[in-house]
Amino acid sequence: MLDIAFAKPALPKAGALVLPLAEGAALTGLAATLDAAMEGGLTRALEAAAFKGKKGQSATFWAPHGGITKLVVIGLGETPDAEKTGGSMIPMISGEAAAMVATDGLSAEQAASLAMGAALRSYRFDRYRTKEKAEDKPKLAKLTIATVDASAAKTAYTPMKAVVEGVFLTRDLVSEPANILTPVEFAERLKGLEKLGLGVEVLGPKEMKKLGFGALLGVAQGSINEPRMVVMKWNGSGKKKMDKPLCFIGKGVTFDTGGISIKPAGGMEDMKWDMAGAGTVAGLMAALAGRKAQADVIGIVGLVENMPGHNAQRPGDVVTSASGQTIEVINTDAEGRLVLADVIHYAIEKFDPKFMVDLATLTGAIIVALGHEHAGLFANDEELAARITAAGNSVGEAAWRMPLGEAYDKQIKSDIADMKNVGGGRAGGSITAACFIQRFVQGRPWAHLDIAGTAWATKDSPTIPKGASAYGVRMLDRLVADHYEG
Amino acid sequence: MLKIRRAPSKGALLLRPILEGGAPHASGFAGRPGEMLEISPRERWIGAAGASSPHEWECVGAACIAAAGEAPRVALDARGLPVQFAVGLGLGAMLRAWRFERLKSRDAKPPRRIELLVDHPCHLAAPWARAEAALAGAAFARELVAEPGNHLTPREFAHRLRKLRAEGIEVTVLGRKALRRLGAGGLLAVGQGSTHPPRMVILRWKGCFQAPPIAFIGKGICFDTGGISIKGAAGMEAMRADMAGAAAGAGAMLALARRRSPCPAVAVLAIAENATSAQAYRPGDVLRMMNGMSVEVVDTDAEGRLVLADALHLAGRRFRPQALIDLATLTGSVVTALGHHRAGIFGNDAALGAAVTAAGEVVGEKLWPLPIGERHREDLKSDIADIKQCVPAGRGPQPDASHAAAFLREFAGGLPWAHLDIAGVETAETSEGLAAKDTPTGFGVRLLDALVERHFEDPHRL
Repeated sequence: MLDIAFAKPALPKAGALVLPLAEGAALTGLAATLDAAMEGGLTRALEAAAFKGKKGQSATFWAPHGGITKLVVIGLGETPDAEKTGGSMIPMISGEAAAMVATDGLSAEQAASLAMGAALRSYRFDRYRTKEKAEDKPKLAKLTIATVDASAAKTAYTPMKAVVEGVFLTRDLVSEPANILTPVEFAERLKGLEKLGLGVEVLGPKEMKKLGFGALLGVAQGSINEPRMVVMKWNGSGKKKMDKPLCFIGKGVTFDTGGISIKPAGGMEDMKWDMAGAGTVAGLMAALAGRKAQADVIGIVGLVENMPGHNAQRPGDVVTSASGQTIEVINTDAEGRLVLADVIHYAIEKFDPKFMVDLATLTGAIIVALGHEHAGLFANDEELAARITAAGNSVGEAAWRMPLGEAYDKQIKSDIADMKNVGGGRAGGSITAACFIQRFVQGRPWAHLDIAGTAWATKDSPTIPKGASAYGVRMLDRLVADHYEG
Repeated sequence: MLKIRRAPSKGALLLRPILEGGAPHASGFAGRPGEMLEISPRERWIGAAGASSPHEWECVGAACIAAAGEAPRVALDARGLPVQFAVGLGLGAMLRAWRFERLKSRDAKPPRRIELLVDHPCHLAAPWARAEAALAGAAFARELVAEPGNHLTPREFAHRLRKLRAEGIEVTVLGRKALRRLGAGGLLAVGQGSTHPPRMVILRWKGCFQAPPIAFIGKGICFDTGGISIKGAAGMEAMRADMAGAAAGAGAMLALARRRSPCPAVAVLAIAENATSAQAYRPGDVLRMMNGMSVEVVDTDAEGRLVLADALHLAGRRFRPQALIDLATLTGSVVTALGHHRAGIFGNDAALGAAVTAAGEVVGEKLWPLPIGERHREDLKSDIADIKQCVPAGRGPQPDASHAAAFLREFAGGLPWAHLDIAGVETAETSEGLAAKDTPTGFGVRLLDALVERHFEDPHRL
């Protein structure tokens, strides 16, 4: 991870220097110092480059002064977005071993946000590139944030760093290929979170069979990789008897072939990230524990692989879920909801949660409905839905409310069982999936995030490099921070 | 026709809504919605427990007709009900009883004779007349939607709209020449593959307020083969209904005229057939639209947004309306998103969107807001023109409904605008609603009528 330090402003002796500059403002702070040292050279250079400080504008100057190898100026516009600025500067300085960024005009809190943006963008998953040449690798190892109130900025950054670490855990898990990250390996890695102070309990097929997890086990039975359910506990209140916990539940299908209802070959490799819901819950729990959140929180993930093995479940099979409700499996590729059904039931019975939020790369239909900018948000509780939406907006993880309702729920009526796992073709596919899950929440406050369109970024954005986005970690961390701590 | 009477006429089947079971009937009938009890050959009970709004009583009325089998004459018992519920019961019955028998040469069923039984018929006269205006509008729209593509050509559609002159509506029909003069490149391109040339029809209801009108814009593709980007054969016959947006706009105008609404209104309906032919427009073509923008065609089956774009621009520029509301069976994407129970609403004005959605709730034509995100607009960047019409196929699943809305927004000229993507709700998918299964719903007519009544008829608002 990028090493980030906070220091009082002083021109660096070596490495790169980044100057974020507001639109139309006179040079201040480090920029003014540099300009003076260069005898007005910076002012002339900016003029020559027609740099006005507009948002998104940038310019690069090589070896401008002293030992500084590279100078990057970035426009802040009129209303600076520190986090995005921190993120978008990273590709411009990744060739330098060390860099300093000025934060004149920004508060200590904004300086910390800038650091967070930089850290988030610096993520790279290169574990399997064995022959990459040194010159092709990013070199940036140390970033110094120059700020007058360095200690305040550092204090503000400490919890943010924990969140960044949570995001990175999620991105690692989501990026891992499915031959490496089997349910067993996934559970093993989560066991490692105990070092953060989380209680981690792993349940195998025997225990799940005893609990009556017919729906989850039905999905798992086609694979040679055994399923796992992992329960992560964060006792942030410190009370012996936990408060009614907040409960986050993730779909963790480590690879989804579709099963007997097999998917077409084109794009199937993306199905390694069909465990992004579980990956997000893991990252969230790591973030909460890392920043010692003052709340009692449970994270549960259902980990299975959906394969068309010789023992795979078939379309037409009827399975009995842990809740006792029976499900006719019409399409084995609608497996995520089967996993969630049992895990949600377990969460209610075992923990009596204050609310539940589940995350799942659940339907292709949500991409057709909303695209890649918003996740679909379904909820039976207005307050919870509003809080999630607001938390998401404040960290740039947008969710769009989608409807539930009896008319949609009717579509999953089955002739032979209590319900079927798909209803009515593609029409309203995300909604009927949500209705299915709703049948297992027993009327408890609940929200469901369909993240199939947002879990994976197909292009770079300021704080998310192309690849696993970890959508949801920051949103839900913020949800907890804003409403459920203290 | 519905007759309001005190008692049923001889031979009519009595349909009695039952609010609560009290002690359950020996049969188990408890008055729940969806229940029906044949109490005698001449009388049936219909579950109406919990019905507490005019729209819920419309649903009861529809359930009564569904429960009546083939009885040619029925009497709905609304005695003892408040006036607005009695009207709802009658309206729901009439909507459900609507059928399209014109093209059957044998065994065409005559219209059902419906009686509404009330204690004081005179109390019902005025509110029923109000309801009849909406009913006429809905029936007009449904008939247009039901007509097959070889009957309702663009020319015939325009011809039927001309008949609205008898209702006090001013009708202007723009043919190919006029459209060329206006530079309606979108509508002309879509229509150029058909032997039946396109039309733009403008309907005006003057009302009596000295105010800018409210404008309805409708997609009127009389038949949509998809053009060169031709559709699969399965289900293509349903594409005769691809003019349901225009039909709804026309129906709403008729409703306003029938009830002499004080609010000025205008409908701009873009009517064309999207056919395959040697002259058809192609993927890759670049069109010059009426507002001067150039558009790269990607898929000739995304034709609705092209014809609407010109209609939106014309409506905005010529009438400077208070609000632009367009209706279109626009995308399959909205069906995937919301299914058949809700239409999608998009827009650039939260207050207008909320008002339109609320009007929909009142009449049971439900909407759900969908986003136009920055990314949706970005996706439409073109290398050769100002904008692409949609995102090419083969790049994974696409939020085409949002893309279409982002496209249309470019043509709303910054005026308050709402876009209703009504694909999926223009035809009844189940037998549980106000239209019989597989028949046109007339979605939008009653919604627009209710919207005008609730938000645009207050003289103090101006």
